[in-house]
Amino acid sequence: MMKQGFRYYLKIYGKILVQNIKSKMSYRADFFISLIGIIFVNLSGFITFWIIFKNVPSLLNWSYYEMLFLYGFSLIALTPVQCFFDNNWNLLTYVFSGDFIKYCFKPLNLFFYYISEIFDIKGIGQLVVGITVLSYSWTNLGLDFSLIILVKLIIALVSASLFMISITNFAAASSFYILNSAYFVMMLSNKFKDYAKYPITIFGGALRIIFTFIIPIAFMAYYPSLAFLSNKEATFLTYFTPVYGITFFYLSYKFWMFGAMKYNGTGS
Amino acid sequence: MNRIIEFENITKEFKILNRREGLKGSIKDLVSKNYSVIRAVNDISLSIGKGEIVGYLGPNGAGKSTTIKMMTGVLEPTSGTIAVNGKIPYKNRCQNARNIGVVFGQRTQLWWALPMIESLKILKDIYQVSDEAYKSQLALYESIINVKPLYNKTVREMSLGQRTLCDILAAFLHNPSVIFLDEPTIGLDVSMKSKIRHLIKELNARQKTTVILTTHDIGDVDALCERIIIIDKGSMIYDDTAGNLKKYFGAYRTLKLKIKGEYILSDIIQALELRFLNQTSMVVRTSEEWISILSKEDEAPIMEILMFMQGFILINDIKIEEINTEDIIKKIYEGNI
Ligand SMILES: Nc1ncnc2c1ncn2[C@@H]1O[C@H](COP(=O)(O)OP(=O)(O)OP(=O)(O)O)[C@@H](O)[C@H]1O
Ligand SMILES: [Mg+2]
Repeated sequence: MMKQGFRYYLKIYGKILVQNIKSKMSYRADFFISLIGIIFVNLSGFITFWIIFKNVPSLLNWSYYEMLFLYGFSLIALTPVQCFFDNNWNLLTYVFSGDFIKYCFKPLNLFFYYISEIFDIKGIGQLVVGITVLSYSWTNLGLDFSLIILVKLIIALVSASLFMISITNFAAASSFYILNSAYFVMMLSNKFKDYAKYPITIFGGALRIIFTFIIPIAFMAYYPSLAFLSNKEATFLTYFTPVYGITFFYLSYKFWMFGAMKYNGTGS
Repeated sequence: MNRIIEFENITKEFKILNRREGLKGSIKDLVSKNYSVIRAVNDISLSIGKGEIVGYLGPNGAGKSTTIKMMTGVLEPTSGTIAVNGKIPYKNRCQNARNIGVVFGQRTQLWWALPMIESLKILKDIYQVSDEAYKSQLALYESIINVKPLYNKTVREMSLGQRTLCDILAAFLHNPSVIFLDEPTIGLDVSMKSKIRHLIKELNARQKTTVILTTHDIGDVDALCERIIIIDKGSMIYDDTAGNLKKYFGAYRTLKLKIKGEYILSDIIQALELRFLNQTSMVVRTSEEWISILSKEDEAPIMEILMFMQGFILINDIKIEEINTEDIIKKIYEGNI
C-alpha cells in the first residue's frame, strides 16, 4: 500500500491554503469588512471586560493586568480553531443532508480532507486584538522578555490552542453519533470558550474538576499562563499542558474518525 | 485481468431504529433495541469488464446508489464478496479511491471558492498525476469540448450544468480505470445533457475507462449504454445488452393519436379494456395533445385498435412508433415482461 506521508499532506494543505487565501483576497471588500467586523466584535468584548474589571482592584488575587493577560492569551489561543478548523461548524449540515459522503471518494485521510477545505481568514482579526492585549498587559506587568521566553510562549500558545480545537472536534463529531442533539452540543461547546479567559480558581470544586479534566478549558489560558506571570506559581498542570493538549487532540481525532467511519450516508 | 468489478452474492442491509412518537418515545428510543432491517441490495452478482459503459437502472429506492457506494468502498456489504480492480474496496478505501472517479449528481467535489483550474491542480497533486499526463489530459478535454472559458470560473459562479461538466472532467483527471456517475444529467437542460453525454462517450472511447452510470433519464441510456442492468427492490431483474432489450420487446408498437375535440382519458381506457379483454400489456398515456397506446402486436394488433378507436372518436392525425427504451424499462419495473 502506498502510504501517504507527512510531506504529501503538507504539500496538499499548502496548496489548498494558498488558493483559499488568494480567493479570499480577491473579494477584497468582503475581506476587509469581515476583518473590521471581527476586530469590532473583539473590541466590544474587551470593553465589556474593561468595564467589569477596571473597578475591581483584584479578583481572588488576580490583578487587572493579570486578568488582561489571560484574556489576550485566550484570544490568541482561539485563533487556530477559528482559522483552520472552521469547517467543523458545517459538519452537522453535511451529515444531515448526506453530503458528507463526497469526502469519502478522495484518496485522502477523511479528517484532513474535510478540515483542509475551509480556511477562515477572519480569525486574523482576533489574533491582532489578542496580540495587542497580551503585549499591553505584558508591559504593564513589567514581565521579562527574551528569545527563550518567546519560544516558551509560542509552545504554550500552540498547546493551549489544541484544547479548543479538540473540544470543537468532539462537538462536531457528535453529529455522527447523535444527529438530533448535535446542534445543541456545538452551541454548548462554543460557550465554553468564554470561560477560558477567567482564572479557574473562581469556579467551585466540581466545576473546577470538570474544567480541568473533562472539558479542559482551564488549559486554554489559565494553566499555561502561570508559567509567565511573575507572582504566580506554575503547577504541575502548567508543564503538563503540551502533553495533555496533544493527547486530547489525538483522542478527539480518533473520535471524529471513528464517527466518520461508522457513518454511512442518508438514503439518496 | 479484464474484469474491473466483480460482485458475488452481494447483499446490503440497513438497520433502522423504529422511532416512537412523543417525548416519552424518544427517551425510550435512546436505549431501544427495536430495529427493523431494510435490505437495500439483495444477492446481486455481476461482473463488469474494461471499457464497458453500463447503465445501472431501477426505480427510486431500488438500491442503485447503495450499490455504487459499495463499489467505491464507502459502504461494506453485509454479505458476499466484492472486488474492484482485484481489491476489496471497503478494506482499502484510500487505495481504491486512486483508481476510481466518482460523480454524484448535484454534489460537487470541487473546491467551491476556487477557480476550476486551481481545483484541477490540487487534484493533480492529490492523485500524483505527472506533468505530462496532466497536460495531455487537459489537451484531450479541450479537444472534446470548449472548456477553456470555464478554467477561471469558480464553482460558485458556475451553472449546475457547467459544474457537472467540470465534476466529470475532474473525475477523469487521474485516468481512473472506472468512473461512477450517479445521475449525472439530473436537472440539466437538453443541450447540456447532450454535451455531457458526448463528453462521457468520448472519454470512454479514448481512454477505455469503464463507466457505470445510474440515471432516470432514458436519453442517457440510449446515447451511452451498451449494457443495461436493472434492479428493483434490491434484486437484479435484467442484465443484458441494450440491443437485446429492444429485440425482446420488438413485438411492441406505440400507436399515437391526435383527437379532435374534448375527450376523457379514463373513458378511452375503459373502452379499450372492454374491447381487448385478453391483453395484459397495453399502456395508455397522454402527452400534450397526443394519446399514445402501447400494445403487443399479437395481443392487440395496432390496426384493430385504430379501427376500434375510429368507431367512437374523431381522429385528426396518427403516428405509429417502435417501442422506446423508456417504455421497455417501465414495463420491466412494473413486472409484466
Ligand atoms: N444509510 C441508510 N440507512 C438506511 N437506509 C438506507 C440508507 N441508504 C439507503 N437506504 C435505503 O436503501 C434503499 C435503497 O436506496 P438507494 O439510495 O440505493 O436507492 P436508489 O436506487 O439510488 O434510488 P434513487 O433512484 O431514488 O436515487 C432505500 O429504501 C433507502 O431508503
Ligand atoms: Mg440514488
